Amino acid sequence: MAIWDWPTRAFHWLIALLMPALWWTAEEHELELHLLLGQVALGLVLFRIFWGLIGSSTARFASFVRGPRAILAYLRGGKAGIGHNPLGALSVLVLLFLLVNVIGLGLFASDEDGIQPGPLSHLIDFDSARILAERHEQVFWILVGFVALHVAAILFYLLGKRDNLVAPMITGGREARAGEVPMVAAPAWRFLIAAGAASALTWWIGTSL
Amino acid sequence: MKDAVLASLAVAGIATAAFAFTPADTIRMRQSSYKQMGSNMHGLIEQARSGSPSISQVRRHSTVILRFAPQVLRWFPRGTGVEAGVRTRAKAEIWSDPQGFRLAGARLLVAARQMDAAARRGDVAQVRAALPALQAACGGCHESYRGPAN
Repeated sequence: MAIWDWPTRAFHWLIALLMPALWWTAEEHELELHLLLGQVALGLVLFRIFWGLIGSSTARFASFVRGPRAILAYLRGGKAGIGHNPLGALSVLVLLFLLVNVIGLGLFASDEDGIQPGPLSHLIDFDSARILAERHEQVFWILVGFVALHVAAILFYLLGKRDNLVAPMITGGREARAGEVPMVAAPAWRFLIAAGAASALTWWIGTSL
Repeated sequence: MKDAVLASLAVAGIATAAFAFTPADTIRMRQSSYKQMGSNMHGLIEQARSGSPSISQVRRHSTVILRFAPQVLRWFPRGTGVEAGVRTRAKAEIWSDPQGFRLAGARLLVAARQMDAAARRGDVAQVRAALPALQAACGGCHESYRGPAN
């Protein structure tokens, strides 16, 4: 039974690959590569936000973002449908929010020498760009903290609740359980719209507005 | 005779001035100068990327960089490495590979002159064209002769 469409899975795993790569390129002062990968990350995150509006059923914010009452009911042992459960939805929102933040700060940040600044860094002065570079790094580590929490939760489901959440994120599905309704896939033209809009916006920002 | 006295006084004066700066002073001064260069590099890129660059701003930045560029090689007298006991990222290679370091300094001077010449001509296209060489001159030297931030 389908749970996750391929764009959602591709986004997830590409971000998982990009995060250590971005950390490493920053650490090694490979800023040209860092800036390039950062723009790829920007495009992916923009795509995921658009996909959350017009994508397949389980990718849409409207389908999985729930209020506190639903979260409490789930915590008390209530059943959740396929896709993100009401508590996991919070994790998705926090991770996306932090990704937007860390990328947004990176756009305006500058290296200490002012020779490899972010694509929008020229809009602010050097001292401000240096402060934002520090915030860029700090928010990155907050993001890493929430990624650790995310991984811990996955492990808890795997070991504590005997529910493997990783496999469906790779294959896209698992065997249906009683009463479950499969994912409704979005048609290809919606993907083209989301990907096109994300690419255009990224290109516009990348070429310094 | 009088000339000889004056000359030796002058030499003594210069020698005293040279010793007036402790290694820690030299390190502090060069760090502050590098920060100014960085800020002016950022300013140059700001103008180069702008849709309507101000050539007077470009000139202001290129002047500062060209003022510092010929001095860089003099900012590293022996004894101003980590042995000075203050925090510095200057690598031992500066003194173990003086030829390479001088070459890096020369590269900076050439790039800074080209940038300033383009700025004086008021030619924005040439300013933009001169930028990558200047960035590479700064970054290339840092890669070989500057240690990590922490």
